[in-house]
Order: sequence, then structure tokens, then C-alpha cells
Amino acid sequence: MVFTLSVNGDRLASTADPVTPLVDVLREEFHLTGAKPVCREGFCGACMVLVDGKPAPSCLMPVALAADCEIRTVEGLAGGGTLNPIQQALETCDAVQCGMCFPGMVVTLTHLLTTTSGATRDDIRAALTGNICRCTGYERIIDAAVLALAAT
Amino acid sequence: MTAGSQVQDDRTGSIYVAPSLSAALDALADYGPAGAPFAGGTWIMRSPIRHEPLRPHYVAIGKIPELSAIRIGKDAIEIGAAVTHAALAAALAGLPEFAVLAAAAGSSANPAVRALATIGGNLSALDFYAADCMPALLCLDAAVEIASRDASERMSLADFLKRRSTFQPGRLLTRIIVPRTERKTAHARLPLRKSGDYPVAIVSLSVNVDTASHVQAVRIAIGSVEQTPRRWGRLEAALLGAVLDPARVADIAAELAAEFTGRDSVEVPAWYRVSVLPSLVRRAAATALAN
Repeated sequence: MVFTLSVNGDRLASTADPVTPLVDVLREEFHLTGAKPVCREGFCGACMVLVDGKPAPSCLMPVALAADCEIRTVEGLAGGGTLNPIQQALETCDAVQCGMCFPGMVVTLTHLLTTTSGATRDDIRAALTGNICRCTGYERIIDAAVLALAAT
Repeated sequence: MTAGSQVQDDRTGSIYVAPSLSAALDALADYGPAGAPFAGGTWIMRSPIRHEPLRPHYVAIGKIPELSAIRIGKDAIEIGAAVTHAALAAALAGLPEFAVLAAAAGSSANPAVRALATIGGNLSALDFYAADCMPALLCLDAAVEIASRDASERMSLADFLKRRSTFQPGRLLTRIIVPRTERKTAHARLPLRKSGDYPVAIVSLSVNVDTASHVQAVRIAIGSVEQTPRRWGRLEAALLGAVLDPARVADIAAELAAEFTGRDSVEVPAWYRVSVLPSLVRRAAATALAN
């Protein structure tokens, strides 16, 4: 069976088994390696993508149920080579660590930025509950989110 | 946590996206033991980590309108089994009598998982011992409906929890019914981190008090401590007629806590789950009084 997925605006075909996690299809068939399969439990956030505009751990979504959805990965967040506001703020605040968790952080914070106004630092922390950084860099990440929110 | 390359994964099979409840029940009946419902998938998709084989066939129920609806009526609320935790928390915001359930649904797991995980899946996952909604619904005296192609049956949640491992294939939890009544409620949970972890222990409380804060009726349910959540009958009996004083309630809970046998796990030892119960009961009582 062939599944057709909408990923970052492109229509892509997958022949994966229906229960295959979306993250594996993104990485292995479509070569979009921003989403990382780390915990495979939906708790670390390294595989976070936007599904119909909402953050979702792609390790828990079977490809068969992703076929009707609009998928956006970290690769699709920067438009025409220009970083989006949260990406720019993360760079400004030197909030980048090893990179394993970071695509998921960018996805979650981009959603927060585009759906929320007036978020506090606690709101940002709550939104990032499902994104675990093992480099202990949360403060700068939150600084960047505050900066990006203030600029929009 | 398990690295992707280390997960033994023998995924194979099909997912049928059911357009209606009758279609879902037909498919589940036809598949028999080879099939199972698929709601949020947050438990099923982790089967390889638990070294459990996936079923050959799944029936996705997330697109069935009546299973994704919440009806707030005058005497009861009805919650479709495929309602997500996030949707449930949002729907119950502003209804103090359901504060316990709103808190349970709104504090479990993390935001992205709450947007996928369903209440029906929470109640049906046999080996998930830390489900937040179970004790919350127990303290609210909830009932559930189970449907098959030929019939449907309503039973108390307590009965469902006793019988759920014995149901024949082809049955589907379709909705949860929670009676409405004047009461104060609260949900106290202790995760290892502030959030994003499974709770060590859960106390869900529903209580009616008179104007002098004397307890007229009370239901207390404990989750995550043992393998199946259950009501704390002796504590309920001890509180009837007494003033709902959080410190006193915690003292009584400490005297009675030995009746629980905690479950051991990699996160915490068994004794610790039991030892935190008095504090959680105190916290729940204080929150309920404030609600």
C-alpha cells in the first residue's frame, strides 16, 4: 500500500508498513533528519513535528494516520533560507546546544509563537514540558522565546 | 529510554480508519483476536519498547464523530472514548464539580501527548498503571458503555476495571458517563519532575461538605500506587461527619496507609508510593476546599 503524505508542502509517497512511526518515514524514506527518534515514547520531544499545525511526537504517529494531515518538520520552518523569528531569537541568545533536542524545541516554540500572545516564562516552560534538553540549556531557550514573543 | 536502533520492531499489518461506529464494530468483530481499536496510539505505538507484538489489524476510531464528542447535560456529562486529554481539559474548564477530571486530563504526560492520548485509551490500556483519569473518574462515580456489533452494555467504572481484561474481542469502550452533582473536587499527583513524568501516586477527591465544612459524602480514589486504581473506603468512612481539615485528614491517611501495597518500579520503590499518600490527601483536601 502506498501512502501519500503532505510534508512541508510537498506530496511524498511512502510504502512503509501502516504502523511505522512517522519519524522513521520522515528520516529513512524522505531523508528529513531534523526529527530525531530518541525515546520513542513521546516524552523527549526530539521527534516533534507539526501535524495540522499542532506539535506532535512523530514517534507515536503511525504513517497510515498521518496520510490525511499536513506535516511540517523543522526543515520546513525556515522560508526561502530565512530563519523564522524563533530560530532567529535562538541564534541571538546563543541558545543552541548539541542539536539533538533542538529541532523539536524549534517546532514547539514556533507553534507557541504563532498561537499565543503574552506568554510568560512559566507558559513557555509549560509548553516545553515535552522537550527534554540534556545539555541543561533551558534558560537561554526561554530567553529566546521571550525575545521572539516580544518582537511579534 | 531506548535508542531507536535497539528497539526490536516487527511492525506489520493494517490500520482501518473507521468512518462510523457501526463500521468500527463490524471491523472489530470480523478481525476477532487479530484486531484491536486504535485511538490516540500513545500506548500501542510503544508496544515494541515493551517487547509486545503488535496486532495484525487495527481499527482507528479517531474520526468517528460521536466518539470524539463531549456532551455536557443537566444531569450528566458524556465523554466519547476518543476524546483527547487536551480536549477534555478544555471542555471542563470552568466547571468546579469536574475540577478533578480537568486537572487529571490537563496535567498528564506533556502537552503534545495530551493532544493525542484519549480517555478511552487511558482506561483500556491494561498494563499502564499511572493513568490520571482513572482515579479521577472513580471519585466522580463514572460509568462506561461497552459496545459490540450486537449489543451495548453500561457498567460502573469500578466494574469495568475488574472485567476489562476478560472482554471478548470485538468490544469497544464507546463513552464515559459522569453524573453531575454539587461537590468539591481535587486531583493531587506527585511526578518526579514538576510535570512530564508519570506520577508516583495520585489522590482524586470528591466531597460534599455542609456550611460548617462537615463531610456529608466523600469519594477518594488512589491511582498509580497499586496496579489498579481503587477507592480508599476506610479513609472515606473515617471522614464522614468530620470537619474537612486537611492536616487532620492527612493524619488519618497516615494511620490507614499501610493497607496499600505499593508497586515497585524503576522510578521509585514500592514503599515510597505509599509514604507520599498522606501528603497528597492533605493537598487534595486543601485544594477541594478552595475550589
